Amino acid sequence: MKFRAVMIDAGPMREFTNIVSTISRLSKECILRLSPDKIYLIVSEDNSGPAPPMLWCEMPQSTFFLEYQIVGVDDEHKDIYLGIVSANLSKSLVTLKTAKCLKMKLTKKQCPCLTLEIEMPSSTSQQSRQVTHDIPVVVIPRKMWSEFHEPRVPHPDISIELPALKQLRTTIDRMKCMSPEVVIRASAEGRLTLQIKTDLAKVSTRFKDLRVEAFEGPIDHSDSETETQTMEDVSRTCYCRVDAKKFSMFLSADQISHNRTICSIVHKKLVILCLQTEENVKLQCFITGIVY
Amino acid sequence: MDSGKTLCSLIKAIQFQECAVFCAMQEGLKLTVEEGKCVQASAYIPADNFNEYHVRDDVDVMFKISIAVLTECLNIFGSAEESSLKMYYRCEGSPLLLVLQPQSFSNVMTDCEISTQTAESVLELRDEDTEEVAKLVLKAPAFLSLLVDMEKTCDIIEINLSPEHPNVSIVTYGMQDRSCIDMPKSSDMVQSFNCEKSVTLKYQLQHIRLIMKALAVSSKVVLRCSSNGLLLLQLKLEKEDQRQMFSEFYIVPLLDD
Repeated sequence: MKFRAVMIDAGPMREFTNIVSTISRLSKECILRLSPDKIYLIVSEDNSGPAPPMLWCEMPQSTFFLEYQIVGVDDEHKDIYLGIVSANLSKSLVTLKTAKCLKMKLTKKQCPCLTLEIEMPSSTSQQSRQVTHDIPVVVIPRKMWSEFHEPRVPHPDISIELPALKQLRTTIDRMKCMSPEVVIRASAEGRLTLQIKTDLAKVSTRFKDLRVEAFEGPIDHSDSETETQTMEDVSRTCYCRVDAKKFSMFLSADQISHNRTICSIVHKKLVILCLQTEENVKLQCFITGIVY
Repeated sequence: MDSGKTLCSLIKAIQFQECAVFCAMQEGLKLTVEEGKCVQASAYIPADNFNEYHVRDDVDVMFKISIAVLTECLNIFGSAEESSLKMYYRCEGSPLLLVLQPQSFSNVMTDCEISTQTAESVLELRDEDTEEVAKLVLKAPAFLSLLVDMEKTCDIIEINLSPEHPNVSIVTYGMQDRSCIDMPKSSDMVQSFNCEKSVTLKYQLQHIRLIMKALAVSSKVVLRCSSNGLLLLQLKLEKEDQRQMFSEFYIVPLLDD
């Protein structure tokens, strides 16, 4: 197994740092999967056990790295899966924003390590400094790879573009204080409603004129408690009740400069949030619905 | 109302209990919070703060509401955002409706239904028969920094007011110490001073500290002491548009042992 990569552009470096720091805030540990054409950061739910990944981030290596060499165990297993403490990785990358060059490689010291060599320009002289971080990693054996495959999800009933994440986050954070669960409702007419209901209050925030990417209607509402007060055609809306904390966590990804964020809903079952950036990075978050 | 921001900061200033009594009168809105039977805090929002304000005059609009939920709802778009606010209330038992719309985004709005409860009666601490023995007008930021400086572990605060120098002296008693702050009426922070004969009043410092959040958002504070020892603090919050909102604290004195 061999891995070596070099990054020299400031833009990708900043983006890489932002992505890693966002992920480190979401989870203590993550899986770094290296493959010949992409690198992946995968987060499973904290309560260990075979659960499908909650967060899935893929980055095409060619837009980030100048050089990229990888040799897997054998020809059939070209990928490398590494278990890593995400805070270690993000702390090591803090200096990357001003760095000239980053070399990443897999090394064998006392334990397997992901070694980061960061070359820093010196403010006083022409010479540069070199900082080396050795981050201990756990090499994930092949038989466990299947746990970290991209989750296979049912076809979403609706995909709708989200409003500015920062704005959405302040609203969700207020709601989070009042209720642990929030209902996300999206309609084919481009409306997105966030709603909480407690004994003390019922609060709904409505966004309108959002772009609907796809709609696979009509939605069968026959088994749900009908709310007849809504004027709109219920067969054109679908909803899902999710954990407000998880939703808010994903929204902290707003510091990654992104093109757009799509929210896809499988009626009452699943919410998939997908953030895409200029560099073709895709950050996906899967939040399963809460059903009573 | 064009901006719910000041309203929210005023309500937050009296948020030391879970529930508040919400009362709508012809003159404006009033929210009252009580701590035991010792402290009563009210926030007044005069009707001229609203672009439109209607109250039916044949019924008493009065109910109990969770103040924490109310502030979260008012702040739903974050504290940086100015948002317009509409409030509706139909009748006893119906929820208080809020409709908020931020000024910088037009494609979003929030509506809240906050459940209400029938209000118990509010303490009537003011006694018309007792006369006022002293009145003091202070600058709120200066008074706040004075309270911040006081030792937090002290239980009792003694306020001595007298027509002679030093006109105001504040003494705190702690476990081991006694500290004293003198404030002559010529001091910068004293805007006006009225006291005919000297009085000594004792309060729980903890009660006085409840006003600190309100002081932080106010410009001016009026202290009134009545002959039965009841302390009334009236705080004025000035907004950019010259309209005013008030908060008011009644604090019951400690009796001599």
